[in-house]
Amino acid sequence: MEMNNFDKNMSAAAFAEAGEHETAREMLSDPETGQKKVVHPVKKKPVVSMIIFGVISLSLYVGLMMRQDLIMDTFTRGGIYTAWPICTALAFSFIHGAFASNFLSVLGLEAKKH
Amino acid sequence: MKRLLFLILGIFLIMPVHSAMAGGGAGPSKDMMKGEFTMVDASAGTATFIKNGAQEPMILNLPEGMTADAINLDKKVMVTLDSHAGEGVIKDVSVMFLDMNVKRVAALLLIGLIGGLLSGFIGSGGAFVLTPAMMSLGVPGAIAVASNMCHKFPKAMVGAYKRYKYGQADIKLGLVMAVTAIIGVQIGIMIQKYILKHWGNAGSNLYVSTVFVFILVVVGGYVLYDAYKLAKGTGEAKTPKLAQALMKINLPPMMEFKVAKVRISAWVTIPVGLLTGMLAATIAVGGFIGVPGMIYVVGASAVVASATELIIAFIMGAWGSIQWGLAGLIDIRLTLLILAGSLIGVQLGALGTTYVKDHMIKIVMAAVMLIVAVSRGAKVPGYLADVGLRGQLEPQLASLLESVSYWSLIVALASAGLIITTAMVKGMMEARAEERVSRLQEEGVSHG
Repeated sequence: MEMNNFDKNMSAAAFAEAGEHETAREMLSDPETGQKKVVHPVKKKPVVSMIIFGVISLSLYVGLMMRQDLIMDTFTRGGIYTAWPICTALAFSFIHGAFASNFLSVLGLEAKKH
Repeated sequence: MKRLLFLILGIFLIMPVHSAMAGGGAGPSKDMMKGEFTMVDASAGTATFIKNGAQEPMILNLPEGMTADAINLDKKVMVTLDSHAGEGVIKDVSVMFLDMNVKRVAALLLIGLIGGLLSGFIGSGGAFVLTPAMMSLGVPGAIAVASNMCHKFPKAMVGAYKRYKYGQADIKLGLVMAVTAIIGVQIGIMIQKYILKHWGNAGSNLYVSTVFVFILVVVGGYVLYDAYKLAKGTGEAKTPKLAQALMKINLPPMMEFKVAKVRISAWVTIPVGLLTGMLAATIAVGGFIGVPGMIYVVGASAVVASATELIIAFIMGAWGSIQWGLAGLIDIRLTLLILAGSLIGVQLGALGTTYVKDHMIKIVMAAVMLIVAVSRGAKVPGYLADVGLRGQLEPQLASLLESVSYWSLIVALASAGLIITTAMVKGMMEARAEERVSRLQEEGVSHG
């Protein structure tokens, strides 16, 4: 059966959606040259992980502000208690840093691909 | 080579313990006490003070001109004693940990964001404006420095990780520089102590400002000249002649830095690291000498040098934070509020470097250095008057210079933020246009 360009693209899309990426690619490849068309993958934006890390980060900040008297008292005792501010800063940088990274990706800000 | 690396790492591990035991290092001064006032006797001019950890109260004398209102009862305070005025005379009292209000929180978030952007882009920055900005919000100096230091190292860690992923950070160069810089900090502190002993506080302030202005103008001016040359020419950076000449010195141990694509004698990298540390101890911003040093002396590109500076900032920041933490001066609320903005900023700045040409980093660096030099330069007349090298400043001139000093820091931060954003947006639009063209070409090939 002879398919026109539109039909070809639509059925390739149907295969791709069903998870048959290879078939989709074959359908889109040029029959004369056999050259496969470059398919630019659309990267999925990490909305879900942004929300998860955002919620964790925000609740940690709220917790910090609610319990600030206790926290300030414990964290400024010096000596072995020094571990508290250092570890807290590190933990926040992992959680909030992951949120920030996902947030920038969701905004479409990514490093240049070489 | 490996032995040398282990040796310097060993020194690095021993040093914090040593200086923590000595109670000195980059930490606070000995004339400072923490505790609470329980009573003030206005007529006698004394106040009852309970030092942290002590059971017995002590009686401190209020200096001339200080009223009983200046003493906050039942609040954690930091008291500095005036050792020249006699036994137990108060010099200064400040409330350690401020109440947070909306204005303070918003200000911290904003400065954090721009400071982070700068740090991600040129490897250092933020600290020179964050500390004075926090102090202008009413945070005592030592707390501002400590909380800022504690925010610097996790921020630098995130930035360094991002730029390592982009293939820009040279871990080995960063480690060698950081360890030598820590030794440099010790030397810097010794010089500071010597000056403080012989010329007092005013002499020390004058020394710090003079070094600051001199180095920033000379180095910043050269970086600007170099960036201007590159911008006018092809925009492609070549290895500077000095670095090329130094690379020819075949004095063992030779070190090879793969990411920076440099093979150079350890006798060249070590002095650069030492100077970075000495400057960090003197003016608190080692990056202003570390990054140009790595570019013009070691021979790394501006992108690699600024990325590697983040590794140095991480190690030195962590080391410094432990010192300040042991003294119990880190206000974690300030630290985390700045981090909230700066972790976004630092990643944005880091990805921004992938879109701009090498000379853009130099332009931002030079602009910041020169404007900050103005800020510090405005303080020099005041310090000159303090040491008696010129007459006292008129109050109007003094307040003018004070506001020039403060506002030029804000201008430095704002203009750097603006240059980075513009360069980044331009770079991104160019990249998108290129991508579109190449896509069209590909389609053209497959159709044709």
